[in-house]
Amino acid sequence: MDDWTFRADRVTKSFGELRANDEITLQVRPGEVYGLLGPNGAGKTTLVKQIIGLLKPTSGALTLGPHDLVEDPDAARQLCSYLPQAQMPIDSFGAQQVMKLTGMIRGGDTITVQRRSDELIDALDIGEWRNTLGMKLSGGVKRLVGFAMVTVWPGRLVILDEPTNDVDPRRRRLLWEQIRRLGDAGASVLLVTHNVLEAEKSVDRLAIINDGRLIAEGTPSSLKAQDRGRMRLQLMMTPGHDTPEMPPFVHHHTRVGNNVMATVGESDSAQAIGWAQEMMGLGEAEEYALAATTLEDVYIRLTGHRSEEEPANIEAAM
Amino acid sequence: MTGGPMAIHAPSSVRTGWAHWLESYVMMTRWELGSLRLLLPLIVALQVIIGGGFALGIGLLFEDMPARNALYLSTGVTVVTLITVGLVLGPQLVGNRKIAGTYDFMWSLPVPRTTQAAAWTTVNSVIALPGMVAALLIADWRYDLPLHISLSIVPAVLLTIVTATMVGYAFAHAIPRPMITQLITQLLIFFILGFAPINIPPENLPAWLASLNDWLPFYHMAVVIRGGLTDGLITDVGSSYLVLTLYTAASVAVAAWVIGRRD
Ligand SMILES: Nc1ncnc2c1ncn2[C@@H]1O[C@H](COP(=O)(O)OP(=O)(O)OP(=O)(O)O)[C@@H](O)[C@H]1O
Ligand SMILES: [Mg+2]
Repeated sequence: MDDWTFRADRVTKSFGELRANDEITLQVRPGEVYGLLGPNGAGKTTLVKQIIGLLKPTSGALTLGPHDLVEDPDAARQLCSYLPQAQMPIDSFGAQQVMKLTGMIRGGDTITVQRRSDELIDALDIGEWRNTLGMKLSGGVKRLVGFAMVTVWPGRLVILDEPTNDVDPRRRRLLWEQIRRLGDAGASVLLVTHNVLEAEKSVDRLAIINDGRLIAEGTPSSLKAQDRGRMRLQLMMTPGHDTPEMPPFVHHHTRVGNNVMATVGESDSAQAIGWAQEMMGLGEAEEYALAATTLEDVYIRLTGHRSEEEPANIEAAM
Repeated sequence: MTGGPMAIHAPSSVRTGWAHWLESYVMMTRWELGSLRLLLPLIVALQVIIGGGFALGIGLLFEDMPARNALYLSTGVTVVTLITVGLVLGPQLVGNRKIAGTYDFMWSLPVPRTTQAAAWTTVNSVIALPGMVAALLIADWRYDLPLHISLSIVPAVLLTIVTATMVGYAFAHAIPRPMITQLITQLLIFFILGFAPINIPPENLPAWLASLNDWLPFYHMAVVIRGGLTDGLITDVGSSYLVLTLYTAASVAVAAWVIGRRD
């Protein structure tokens, strides 16, 4: 058996002065769904564009099994399938027609491509638009058709840049199921998303990228390990009010807009509720909620700033 | 919902060679024809109208057109209809796709990129040829031309279309802003119609412009196509074939380089 692990090794990409990717190293094994998370402009699309040969790394290596993807972009295009963040050129094609055509361009045979496209249309529940022209499809359905196009005959590495964009919550679930199945069928899946909560449920491992650097990597639960035994206290501040002084039991806090999120120990829950009610009594806060921590808390802590020294940055991160 | 194991036929090896190239070329031609499907009838009809109309229009230049002028101008019109598709319409279509942002996907398809350029040339020919034929037929009917069509029209048209299409394709891809591409196509059509010895005999041009045109492809395109359509109107086609062949080779090489480049 060949090893088809995808490896990025210290990939750096500069656009003039800007380091859009800074020494990024990661691996995606066959069967694994690997999430790439990070705020706007973090460098996620830049990374995946280098894999498929749309951009060339300034330095570093990208390999898939025995193939050097930087040296051999033809191999990259044949072995990887790619759903770009940008538009798909499907305006003049029927939905299923364009899935079959791309499947055949990817090397598929007519019968399999027909069967797989039927399967995907059912699985994503887009049968209603089977023969609709691309230009008449809604944004979300276009996105789903795009996903089907690149996975009718998937490559060893399937790269999906924000596949769930514009898709309604129910079909998003169907889409995640299909992404999962790609992994189960042996493909490596590298997936860019902003939806931390959905990713938490569906990816095997993930990396968080910020300012071009990989700042955290691991399974969702290993990333949350630091927050084990902690809760999230969310305070909705009254507009115009400053963030109050945090009581000593708060581990860290972030403010995004009027929302203050504080991490507290489970054993301090009662105290935290008391404090939140006090804030509401003073008119400082309008609402509060106490909940289990999620990957989102980790994400915000890592990509936002821990203190309020640069609140503008936190808002940009959301 | 579908259950059971999904069949994934992931590629294990990288396809190369001529068979793969040809197969990819056929698929990409299907793709290009498919993606222009809704526009194609309109574009072709327009080309036919432009070609035919242009052929009729030159009749208005003279009260009673001498036979030799009729032949010269009508064949010139066929050349213009042929090259404007590759140099003007083609780049505008590429620019539209740049604006739509669909090239990330197109450039990620598992085909040699040169097959995409070849498919593009094929589609441009499908658009250009009906206009050229219409111009010729209408001119022949209107002016009763002493046409003398020889087999050399095939390589002449081929070299002309490939060069025009590849030059247009290359600059449309190389220039990041479609707006600039549009301006360049405007400039080109202005030059082709007004300052290139296609419809204007080179001896009527200022000497410097005539010698500039010796180094540009337009005059040579007109020479080889006239050579294939007439007898006696053109004497020296050899050197024009040579220059044009070099242009064709260079334009293909530049286009291949432009689309193969990674930032
Ligand atoms: N072709 C380019 N030339 C110059 N700068 C670029 C280019 N492409 C991207 N950048 C810059 O590189 C940085 C990373 O961009 P990238 O598109 O990779 O971000 P991203 O993580 O995909 O963001 P988003 O979540 O918004 O899609 C940004 O600062 C962006 O402005
Ligand atoms: Mg992006």
